[in-house]
Amino acid sequence: MTQYIVRRLLLMLPTLAGITVLVFAVMAMAPGGIGANLMTRGGDMRPEERAAMVAYLNKRYGLDQPMATQYLRWLNNVLPIGYETGPDGSRGKFGFKPPDLGMSFVKNRPVLDLIAEALPITLLLNALTIPLIFAGSILMGVYTARFRGQALDIGIGTANLALWSIPTIWMGVMLIGFLASEQYLKWFPTTGLESLRADSWTFLPSRTETGWQIGYLLDLLWHLVLPVFCLTYSGFAFLTKLTRSAVLENLLSDYARTARAKGVSEQVVLWRHVFRNSLLPLITVAASILPGLLVGSVIVETIFSIDGMGRLAVEAVQMRDREVVLSITLVTGILTLVSYLLVDICYALADPRVSYE
Amino acid sequence: MGNRFGVKDLLLYLFLSVILVSVWLAMVQVDRQWELISLAQEQLETQGRDIAEIRRKVQNGVVMGASSSGGATEAAGGFARALAAREELDFARGDWLVDYFPDNLQTLTPILSSDTYATQVQQRVLDTLITRDPETLKWLPLVAESWQISDDGLTIRFKIRPGVVFADGEPLTAEDVAFTHRMVMDERVAGPRWRAFFSRIREVTVEGNDAVFHYEEPYFGSFELAGTMPILAEHFYAPYLDSVETAEEFNRSTGLLFGSGPYRLQDPKSWTPDQTVELVRNDRYWGPVQGPFNRIVYKVIQNDAALLTEFRNGDIDIYRARPLDYRELKSDPEVEKHARSLEYYDARGGYVYVAWNQKLNGEPTRFADKRVRQAMTYLTDRQRIADEVMLGYAKPANGPFNPQGEQINPDVETREFNVEKARELLAEAGYLDRDGDGVLEAEDGEPFEFTFSYPSGSDDFKRIVLLLKDLYVRAGIILNPEPTDWPLMLKALDDKTFEAISLGWTSGFEIDLYQFFHSDQTQPGGDNFMSYESPEMDALIDEARQSMDKDLRMQLWRQAHELLWEDQPYTFLLWRARLDFFDNRLHNIQRVTAGVNWPGLWRMPGEWYVPAPLQKYGD
Repeated sequence: MTQYIVRRLLLMLPTLAGITVLVFAVMAMAPGGIGANLMTRGGDMRPEERAAMVAYLNKRYGLDQPMATQYLRWLNNVLPIGYETGPDGSRGKFGFKPPDLGMSFVKNRPVLDLIAEALPITLLLNALTIPLIFAGSILMGVYTARFRGQALDIGIGTANLALWSIPTIWMGVMLIGFLASEQYLKWFPTTGLESLRADSWTFLPSRTETGWQIGYLLDLLWHLVLPVFCLTYSGFAFLTKLTRSAVLENLLSDYARTARAKGVSEQVVLWRHVFRNSLLPLITVAASILPGLLVGSVIVETIFSIDGMGRLAVEAVQMRDREVVLSITLVTGILTLVSYLLVDICYALADPRVSYE
Repeated sequence: MGNRFGVKDLLLYLFLSVILVSVWLAMVQVDRQWELISLAQEQLETQGRDIAEIRRKVQNGVVMGASSSGGATEAAGGFARALAAREELDFARGDWLVDYFPDNLQTLTPILSSDTYATQVQQRVLDTLITRDPETLKWLPLVAESWQISDDGLTIRFKIRPGVVFADGEPLTAEDVAFTHRMVMDERVAGPRWRAFFSRIREVTVEGNDAVFHYEEPYFGSFELAGTMPILAEHFYAPYLDSVETAEEFNRSTGLLFGSGPYRLQDPKSWTPDQTVELVRNDRYWGPVQGPFNRIVYKVIQNDAALLTEFRNGDIDIYRARPLDYRELKSDPEVEKHARSLEYYDARGGYVYVAWNQKLNGEPTRFADKRVRQAMTYLTDRQRIADEVMLGYAKPANGPFNPQGEQINPDVETREFNVEKARELLAEAGYLDRDGDGVLEAEDGEPFEFTFSYPSGSDDFKRIVLLLKDLYVRAGIILNPEPTDWPLMLKALDDKTFEAISLGWTSGFEIDLYQFFHSDQTQPGGDNFMSYESPEMDALIDEARQSMDKDLRMQLWRQAHELLWEDQPYTFLLWRARLDFFDNRLHNIQRVTAGVNWPGLWRMPGEWYVPAPLQKYGD
């Protein structure tokens, strides 16, 4: 097993190198190049500034050098072992050094800072969304299999399909329009993750001279309701169907019949025997969770004005902000590969028949 | 079986994770409250110091106000309008102004910032030497008490007003002005945009109370350039120039914003782009009037639907509408109840144009013939674009000069839509329908067909271009629309690979034509990307730029306008109106020559206010 894991870990290195080379090449070949960041937003250009900006970026980031040099320089910066780089771009001595994700061309800030700002928000959203999707889908999947062909099965199946077909962008706008508007129902806040004054509130609800104040925690949850709903509703369909078919297969199997025959109650058959054996396909899907935790949804983030990873990534691609795109790809790539490895290990743990010896 | 993972365990784990997340969130909030507390502490300390200082002065028998505020009221010049607003019967201080940005801000730090959003915030925090009267457009003193321009126009001397202080009580002196220029020009600072702009100033020297700006060559914009340079505090920013590392720290900063203006950031160092921008009143503001609002808040709202809902809910006080929106909302009784609309032309708002490329791959194009360009202009029905695409909220443009300003030549007419005239001109230039297929051909039989690039993602541009396609085909010209992404657009401009392109420029009170129409600017990186070359125009521009005599200069600009009308390097399309809604809480919103009397736009404490009974936010 250990040997297997080590081998898999070593195999990751060429894969990651391949991914970054590919992304680097695509960024380099993209028409317009890094010059995209010269635009000032809103479509207005200040004429005097463009030439100065190009010259400056070339000098500072060596953008006028050959692609291979630029890639190797980036690789050297990202790796924990390599040449140290001085503030003026000079090459220092070889050895261990802190990995450096580089600077965003467009925002002129360390990529690490940008990720550090966006990641907690995305993690918070996903930490609520993913368990909700899984819990909901498993429950629905198991019971639709249990009552297959009956009203419950058809009803849930149709509803999930319908929800899955609604585009998030439409749903989000409708929710804001009807549930967050004074014209209709003002149940939820419109945008953002907190009220303007939330900083000066207590954490839990408390009583003040002017009456009850809902506090930071509830205020945050209240702001999260609509975005989390938008992220959740379309996720049920796929997982429910998956669970349903796995459970269905096991419900009809011999061991389930045996269990029933020896007098085990249907509830116990369903949850203790059948459900556990149906977990395997869910584990496969769970492989996407780990990288998925990092990936934000640009649509939901834009509708609700939340600054998460989705917007960071999409903006970076639009502006050809190379270091940001590469860093996000690298981190997502590592997490994807690690989660595949974890899934393979989980297989061995969940199913005694699987072994890597 | 008993040790297997069961429902109870699941619940337990869920419960534990909820607690963990809550603890984390609580820590986040405590952290932020900690920042607030340390801020409050800092404020208390500085206030203590202030009080001690005042006590000392009182004990020493200094007459308060005679030197500082007295001097300021005397030169109320720049503050006259703000003072007048305070005389209104229902004037009250307090409440918030909640504005929005449609896009994320990247940095508030001056010199590094490059977008208009950061500029809007900086305008309330940083002072300049002079300001402009929004009605008469005359320059008025602000931080400078008076100024002198040498006869050759190469030195400008500003006398700094005594008693001007930064938000921490430190006095603002001529040294700070000189420092600002030094900092902008420092190569270690990542501000190529600002540097390109201010490099025209050779140096700024200090002579007693005066800041003296020196120039290499006379330039009509010298005075404005010097007078509108935001003044940075030397004691705040200078430490960042100590070494390469500290300069790098400055380059990476997002919220180093500190000045002497009527508003300030609660903490002038720690703002990051994931926070809302909240400006608080600068209680130490040196002017005779203080900012009317307790806070000015800028939310970031990127989605149009969400933006509209926020406005309908009254969560934002200003809403900048697009023509279609505007027409609908104006007659909406719900909106009428809490907001009022205002259409106006901002003197600094820009114009939209079509540029005809005269040289493609070194070869003259069909647009190199000015008769063709004139014909294209005749075919461009600008009134119809204004009426149908912009729903009447735009004016046809016939030149780059603002209709509100003095540069415009009132005698230049706008060419009316005229297919006959266009056909005549095209026939003269050799374009006729030779094979009877309805499309014009050149002598060699090549059909008159061209691609027309415009920024993708802009609905207004798209509708304009579709209308143009329709209009041009009437004269037998085929337009192939090509929506283009910004990066590709910029590349096409640099390489001059487009045939015709539609874009917008921002404008000003007095603009310089050099960048756009001088033949020097046809080189790569210049903005004469359509390769328009006219010795006559070059001469006019060169002379006007160096002329310090305003009347003479205006005459030259007007001649240039006439020449542009004749040559049509651009077909100027439209001046777009601003279509804004303002919450009814806000009083004293007026239309002025320059547009609307925005608070902070003129580096003034602002003329808008919320009468006491209407105030809805506290402090």
